[in-house]
Amino acid sequence: MVELRGCDPPKNLDEYRDVFVYVQHKNGKIERGSLEMLGMGRELADKLDEKLVGIMVGSDLSKVAEEAANYNCDTVIGIESPDLKTFSSVPFSHFISETVEDYKPNIFLLSGTREGRDLVSRIAIRCNTGVAADCIELDADKQNRLLIAWRPSFGDKTIDQILCRKHRPQMITSRPGSYKLPEKNRRKEVKIDIRKVKVPDKMKTVRVVEFRPKETLDLTTAKTVVSGGFGLGKPEGFKYVEDLAKELDGVVGASRPVVDLGWIPYDHQVGQTGRTVRPHLYVAAGISGKIQHLVGMKDSEFIVSINTDPDAEIVKYSDFYIHGNLYDALPKLTEEIRKRKSGSKNKV
Amino acid sequence: MALKIVVLIKQVPDAEEIFIDPVKFTLNRSQARGIINPADENAIEAALKIKDETGAEITVLTMGPPAAETALIECMGRGVDKGILITDRVFAAADTWATSLTLAAAFNIMDDFDIIFAGESTTDSGTGHVGPGVAEFLGIDQVTYSVNTKVEGKNVIVERSLEDGIEVVNVPMPVLITTLIGSNMPRRSTLRMKIDALKKGITVMDHEKLKLPPEWVGIKGSPTVVGSLKIPDEKKREGKKYEVEEIPKLVDDLIEKGAIKIGDA
Repeated sequence: MVELRGCDPPKNLDEYRDVFVYVQHKNGKIERGSLEMLGMGRELADKLDEKLVGIMVGSDLSKVAEEAANYNCDTVIGIESPDLKTFSSVPFSHFISETVEDYKPNIFLLSGTREGRDLVSRIAIRCNTGVAADCIELDADKQNRLLIAWRPSFGDKTIDQILCRKHRPQMITSRPGSYKLPEKNRRKEVKIDIRKVKVPDKMKTVRVVEFRPKETLDLTTAKTVVSGGFGLGKPEGFKYVEDLAKELDGVVGASRPVVDLGWIPYDHQVGQTGRTVRPHLYVAAGISGKIQHLVGMKDSEFIVSINTDPDAEIVKYSDFYIHGNLYDALPKLTEEIRKRKSGSKNKV
Repeated sequence: MALKIVVLIKQVPDAEEIFIDPVKFTLNRSQARGIINPADENAIEAALKIKDETGAEITVLTMGPPAAETALIECMGRGVDKGILITDRVFAAADTWATSLTLAAAFNIMDDFDIIFAGESTTDSGTGHVGPGVAEFLGIDQVTYSVNTKVEGKNVIVERSLEDGIEVVNVPMPVLITTLIGSNMPRRSTLRMKIDALKKGITVMDHEKLKLPPEWVGIKGSPTVVGSLKIPDEKKREGKKYEVEEIPKLVDDLIEKGAIKIGDA
């Protein structure tokens, strides 16, 4: 039987103090979004006159805990066991929840990676508190010691303010890439607290049997994205998209229809049901500009579109628009940039 | 014994048909058509594939307004055996905590299960919290971001798509698995099976049936609230037009504006 209970708030909110940040790491390296949250966490902690606490889980934490300490933490808590080498939802969320229930932080920030998003809900259910997901802006109200979280709503048409007034900790996941990376700075009194734990056998049920690294296609951090859409007419058309992307040191994106058709893997999909990207330069070739695609790329710094139809929606969202057939335009654009590059080399 | 599978789905408004009221700055979803949340389509398909291969009894469970029945009938038209609709005014405006509780409560009424599938996240709120939230209430393992699931005896082998690669995990059942959008090709329903589904009907549950006090659910049972909302600033874009012959000029302009960099300049 499932034991049912309501989300009862704690009696005394003042007991809850300090800002927790989940520090995700792999091979001794801290994940980028977690660093962003350490930076944001410091700002919030300073505003509220609270402490910044990094919390991490793993099998051999001494080095990576030292590294986390370099980002303005007051305390780094490590939960360590040989059985916690690879991520697993149940034991990770169990030990973090235990630490949260014991420490009683006011705020808990997690980077919205796949790991962070996997963990956050279990912790929130167990600790009887709410989560605002995918936040792009955070602020604090000092008087009420309240976290003010902003997240894009359906289709990014509005930005909603999410508050968790009566429950603690106030939890959020971030949209990675939306915040500044902090500078390294080590506090003199930083405390590193590695806690050895024993993982009960009943929590060791998930076994990782294989890991197949893939060529990392990180659309979200790419400086340049060149995307192809239905206007390509055939899967082979992506060759020209790839050529331009290569010339610009960028990555290849796509709109949903061509992913649905199987012309290119889902990893490349930009838009509401794919990735949200904010590159310096976004090139849209043969993409008409349906709202589902626009929400995934409209905040790019520069947008260039290629389309035969001057009335296509994408043109309104473009800084530069090439009117014409993309099978003429794409190779010509690639060639022109190649020429300029070799020209600039010759000058040197 | 055939496997028992439960699929959690949600009916969401079609994104293309959402409008912002220009006066009140609120979202107008009333005219939007209801569709099955895209990632849930993949969850349904993942369950049906297991049914094709090893045989399984599939129940699809949703919470929503009475109109969400159409989503259940659509699933039954694809080969799902049973549909359950959790609907009650007291469930309105629930956040992910209260939604997870409400869905979990239905498992006290249903038979035992081996696998729960859910879409990784919904397009209308995109939190991805409800699947793992239900797993936490049920006290079972979860595997998120799956792209492929295979049953092997009493375990499942699941491929998870992570940022840097595919992780393959082996987990004993019962387990909750969330499916990544685009991870398979959902089949279509057949008219005949939909007619059968309409004849068979669905099961409806309210808060009394689920033994959930109204203060635990809906907006009252939700720890988070939406404070205010703002309209994002849209950047003004010029849409400067170039013909294909003018591409050299375009490249000049791109360089001048700093959109592309050539060499170290």
